[in-house]
Amino acid sequence: MTYLSKALGFGIAVVATFAACAAAATLALGQSSLSAGNQSVTACTSSLAATRNVNNAGTVTQVNVAGIPVACSGETLSVTLVGSGNAPLGSASAAVGSCGTTCSATLTGFGTVSAANVVGYSFGLAGA
Amino acid sequence: MLRRLRPTPRRLAVLVAATVGVGAGVGYAASLTVNSWHLWAGSQPLTKAQCTLTGTTSTTNTYVTQFSANNNYSGSTTMLVRSNSSSQDWSFVRFDLSKCPIAIPTSGGADTATLTLFITSTPSSRTLSVTPVLTTWASTLTWNQAQLLTYGAQTTTMATGASGNTAKSATVTVDVDSLIKSPNSSFGWRISDSGTGNATTTFATSADTTASHRPQLVINYEK
Repeated sequence: MTYLSKALGFGIAVVATFAACAAAATLALGQSSLSAGNQSVTACTSSLAATRNVNNAGTVTQVNVAGIPVACSGETLSVTLVGSGNAPLGSASAAVGSCGTTCSATLTGFGTVSAANVVGYSFGLAGA
Repeated sequence: MLRRLRPTPRRLAVLVAATVGVGAGVGYAASLTVNSWHLWAGSQPLTKAQCTLTGTTSTTNTYVTQFSANNNYSGSTTMLVRSNSSSQDWSFVRFDLSKCPIAIPTSGGADTATLTLFITSTPSSRTLSVTPVLTTWASTLTWNQAQLLTYGAQTTTMATGASGNTAKSATVTVDVDSLIKSPNSSFGWRISDSGTGNATTTFATSADTTASHRPQLVINYEK
C-alpha cells in the first residue's frame, strides 16, 4: 500500500502540474494579453485602416484594407462595421493576400448596412 | 481481489508512465495552440461631416447645342437639355470638392451625395441621364469639344416631373465616393435626354440671381 500511495500521489502531482499549464494557456486565450508560461502571442501588425465602397442607395458594398504588412500574408482578416454605441452592424472575413511590398484584402458580404450608420471599423487578424 | 491489484514494480512503472504521458499530452496540446497563432485586434473610428457646394466659386456649368456646334454658352443663367435626335442640347455641371469648408481626405468616402438642379421649365415628364464626365472641361465647352470628352458609365437618372419652377435631385453617391477617393478621376456630369420626341428641359445655372435656384451638391461623408 505504501508503494501504491506514493505512486498515486506522484501521478496526481504530475497530472496537476500539466493540467495547470494547460489551464493557464487556455485562460490566456480569452484575455487581452495572451501568454502561456513565458510564451507571448505575437501580432503581425499594430494598426490597420480601411475604406469602403457604397452604392447609390448608400449601402456598403465592400471594405478595402490596404497596407497590411507582408508578415500577415495568409492570415484571416475579420472586419466588423460598427455603429452607434459600438453596435455591430455587419461582419465579414477574408484571407490576406495580394502581397507586394504590402498586402491588401477586400471584404464583401456585410449585408445591407447603410454607410451613414457606420461610425467605425473593428479589425481582427488571426493566423498561424 | 486486492491481491490482483497489489502493486508490483512493473505495474507502478506502467502507471507512472501512463500518467505522465496523459498529462504531458494535455499540456503540450494547449501550449501548441497558443504558440502557433498570431492574434491582433484593433479599431478605426470614423468622423461624419457634411459639405454643401453651390454658387459660382465652387460650380462650373454650361450647356452645348448640336445646332451650333462651335458655340459656347458660358455665363448663361440657364442651361438646356434637349432630346431632338438631330439637334440635341446637353448640360454640364461639376463641383470643386476642394471648396468644402473642411477638406475631405482621399481616405474618406461619401455616405450619400445628392445633386439638385432647379428646373425653370419642362415640357413634360422626362427621365434625364446623369452621366459622369471623365475628362476635364471648361465653361466655354462647345458641342464639338464635348464629342471628344470621355464619359463613364451612367449610374443615375433625374426625373423632371411635369412642371417647372421646382428643384429636382439625383442621387450621385457612387460618383462622388469615387471622386473623393480619386480627386481627378471625374469632372462632374453631363445631363442629357435620350428619350423620344423634341423636348427641352431648362435648368438654372450658378449665374442665376436667385441663390436657391443654383445647382447644388450636398455630400454627407466620413473621414
